[in-house]
Amino acid sequence: MKQALVSIAAAASLGISLLTAAAPARAQEELKIGVIAALSGGGTGWGLGLQRGVQLAIDDANAKGGLKVGGKTYKLRQVAYDDQYNAAQAKTAAERLVNEEKVKFIFGPVGSPGALGSLPVTQPAKVLQFVDGYAPAILKNEWNGGYVFRIGNSNQEFAEPIVKWIKQTMPNTRKVGMIAPNDAVGQAAVPILVNAYKRQGYDVWIEYYERGSKEFTPLLVRMMAQNVDLFELNSNAPGEAGLLVKQARQVGFKGPMIQSGGAGVDEIIEIAGPLAEGFLKYDVIDAGLPRVKLFLDAYSKKYTGILNGLSPVYYNAAHVVLEAIRRADSLDTTKVRNELEKMGGWDAPVFGKVIWTGKEIYGNDHQLFHAFLIKEVKGGKGVIKTVVQSQ
Amino acid sequence: MFSTTVLAQVVVNGIGLSATYILVALGFTLLFGIMRVVNFAHGAFAMLGGYALYYVYGSFGVPYIIAAPLAALLVATVALVLERLVYRFFYQKMFQSMIGLLGLDMAIMFTAVMVWDSHERSIPPTVSDILQIGGVIVPADKLIISGVAGAALLAFYLFTKFSRYGLAMRAAAQDMEIAEAQGVNTVMIYRLAFFIAIFMAALAGGFYGQTYALSPMMGERPLMMAFIVVILGGMGSIPGAALGGILLGFADSFLATFYGGSVSVFLSFGVVILLLIFRPWGLMGTPES
Amino acid sequence: MNTSNPSSTLASSGLPPGAVPRPRRTPAGAGTFLKWAAVAILAALVAAPLLVNERFFLTVAVMVLINAIAAASLHLIIRIGHVSLAHAAFMGLGAYASVLTVMKLGLPFGVGVIAAFLCPAALALAIGPLVLRLTGKYFVLVTFLFGEIVRMVFVEWKGLTGGGNGIFGVPPPSPAFLDPRAFYYLSLGFAVVIIGFIARILTSEIGRAMDSIREGERLAECSGVPVLRFKVLVFVLGCGLAGIAGALQGHFVRYIDPTSFSMIQSLNLVVMNVIGGMYTLVGPMIGTIFLVVLPELLRGYVELQRVFFGIILIVVMAFLPGGLADAGKRVATLAEKRFGARSRP
Repeated sequence: MKQALVSIAAAASLGISLLTAAAPARAQEELKIGVIAALSGGGTGWGLGLQRGVQLAIDDANAKGGLKVGGKTYKLRQVAYDDQYNAAQAKTAAERLVNEEKVKFIFGPVGSPGALGSLPVTQPAKVLQFVDGYAPAILKNEWNGGYVFRIGNSNQEFAEPIVKWIKQTMPNTRKVGMIAPNDAVGQAAVPILVNAYKRQGYDVWIEYYERGSKEFTPLLVRMMAQNVDLFELNSNAPGEAGLLVKQARQVGFKGPMIQSGGAGVDEIIEIAGPLAEGFLKYDVIDAGLPRVKLFLDAYSKKYTGILNGLSPVYYNAAHVVLEAIRRADSLDTTKVRNELEKMGGWDAPVFGKVIWTGKEIYGNDHQLFHAFLIKEVKGGKGVIKTVVQSQ
Repeated sequence: MFSTTVLAQVVVNGIGLSATYILVALGFTLLFGIMRVVNFAHGAFAMLGGYALYYVYGSFGVPYIIAAPLAALLVATVALVLERLVYRFFYQKMFQSMIGLLGLDMAIMFTAVMVWDSHERSIPPTVSDILQIGGVIVPADKLIISGVAGAALLAFYLFTKFSRYGLAMRAAAQDMEIAEAQGVNTVMIYRLAFFIAIFMAALAGGFYGQTYALSPMMGERPLMMAFIVVILGGMGSIPGAALGGILLGFADSFLATFYGGSVSVFLSFGVVILLLIFRPWGLMGTPES
Repeated sequence: MNTSNPSSTLASSGLPPGAVPRPRRTPAGAGTFLKWAAVAILAALVAAPLLVNERFFLTVAVMVLINAIAAASLHLIIRIGHVSLAHAAFMGLGAYASVLTVMKLGLPFGVGVIAAFLCPAALALAIGPLVLRLTGKYFVLVTFLFGEIVRMVFVEWKGLTGGGNGIFGVPPPSPAFLDPRAFYYLSLGFAVVIIGFIARILTSEIGRAMDSIREGERLAECSGVPVLRFKVLVFVLGCGLAGIAGALQGHFVRYIDPTSFSMIQSLNLVVMNVIGGMYTLVGPMIGTIFLVVLPELLRGYVELQRVFFGIILIVVMAFLPGGLADAGKRVATLAEKRFGARSRP
């Protein structure tokens, strides 16, 4: 028994001493940029995308000699912590970044659990945070936006324009079928899209599935028995979306298919193969534009694997933030925040004109709006069908 | 909604689902029946089988008829190393095997993440044709998978019923000491059983990767399905695994088509829980003596 | 429907033979040493935040304390020979119960804690008599499925639980507890009371009855122990206490959602018990520190961590059935034998 007590004491003191020794002194010319992202478990795709996007922006700035603020030049360095797509972990990661690493700018988390778990830590500490996640509470909360910005389009922004476009280009469609995951994203995003369709006079049929399912044929047969004209994939993750497209065609669905939401189209093409032909997709990047091509080249030079749709979004956002810091000429987060709010109209590297929106819905204009595209899969590649600007 | 075409489609889907479930469950129940090991890492081997096929068939372009068994063989052979290193400490120790192999599952899965990245890939299908048989749509690759699963099941059944080694395996399953006294080399039998079980899991993993998608986490779902199938049919019973697979596959197809996704899940879980409470040895298993 | 075996529960479920605790005869001197050691550790834990007033340290410490409570409550259930893979679900029930009591009914935190105990305890009472009849492996499987069902209910019942998006803006027990130091003392208080209570149970008559049930149910039954009723009692207690841990977590992170109480967390709690040691209360304490602190030290190498944990699980289950606590004891006994022998004249 006493050996056991000694072992606890040893473990506890080891733990304490290691934790307190965790923050050695840092060189003065270094500016730490924090990242909280899902780097393990199910959300890793998003987390990696976020991390890589931010890193590429940091590389850009360092290549130009660093970030010049208030007469000093800073070398940027990313400090990333895993939140495992979990609220408690995100809180701990945020505490570590804010209080140990003394970081003032944090990118991520992606996903409502992480975002909502970390906000109570960063907001009172006046740390600027740039998140992505569907929960309205991210911007509509007790701090009224405060020091948090949402830098990915939520479907509040793109649902209505897309549905209007569909009504225009496919006038014969009356009934829409949706198959959505029964999780946080699905539950938050789907009602918005459903309402957008209903407002335009469509009939909507919807069915949910448990996250983790891969076999959708029974649900698709069920959907087809409802005689839907259009299959809407809404907020499905790329893996599931690809399977839905493939299995829908395999089960004999002949009508048009569109995904109003989700990330890039490449993963879907890889999974569905030739069956993805004709599939329509919301996307945010136009590989044809020279500046986007620059980003894509930099990405493929440094990283392997298919481009995750979050990378350009966070690359863009990181550049916006760095520019705001330059304009504020200070690392004081309140000054930077004020500059950010005034940056509407600035030409950001990937998505062009910065637009802040959201006051009607959230009470503050901290939602970034990008122009977005609708792509069609032709010959195994996503080809741009139309570009939708802001209202 | 209840038209004949839909019903026929439900049956076809049911066959496809059952085939995948049976293939994974067979190996799982074999390991339990003979070595009394609950292989929580079964899904991880399926996943490895998927990646093996990805390289052998997808990257090296070996013709499918050779690639599929070859990939499974590769995984099973490499797994023999793990048998020596890990599994043999857990034979006949059910409880330890559960947690220990859970650890193995974690280790394999996250090593895979480090090696291959977590994004989903797909393996090119064998044939992309979609056949239409009297109003019912059948993708050709589903036919192939069902065919292979059926063949594997048959071969397996014949092996255990009629071949010397199969008989030896069954003897070892019933009573190891007496089997040893009769001259059966239990170590070799265990290795044989292990090899066969992993071979089938890896084969199933390859199909899974073709039909759905390949990622380091993909083995978790087949594992859970294998669990349910084996509980339904009876742990350790091979005909039970077949029966369980068919039941689950058809129930899944029927319920999900007519009542939606969550009803199907709740009902199957509920039924399994009731079964575990009132008849834990499943439909075809034997109560523990 | 009696599905327990004629032979001991221990052998049928394959629990390692080393699990049988030997009767402890502690010499008189060890008793006072124990008391002083306990006091010293407690003093250290109380003084720590005064010396190290760092938010990050305090946050991790609070998470350790909360997980320690949860792991200890699972330990109760493991000591009667049943490994539950649904424990995080019961934590979740407690969390939702407390949060809803405080936010929707406007009652104070104290009432929330009571609700957090009662709600999972009630559910445990309902299913206990059915599932506790099952032997080792079947119980694990049932709890595995049950945990999933509870999580799905959290996700589906949007009106009550907020569905997949959970409940945000959970108030702390009182505005004073927004300071992590205050919350640390709150959780320390709960931890000391609850874990102390559990320790008391385990060293009493009840604890001995629990061990006897684990080693041989039929024998215990013949000795006059009302086995099933007893098991249900322990199960209800364990699940209720887990609910309190869940409530603490909910009011600390100030956000709850179904993913915080899923299979991953249940598995972590089991791993804490297994790695630390399943047959002594010290085990889950060691396991908690291991599982909560180690990831903080190894942040940035998450996959490697998981591979490492997996390998440790294998090694522990294969060679060290008593977990790290047992390993520590063995090393200490070995050392004593060597050095003890030398010191003899």
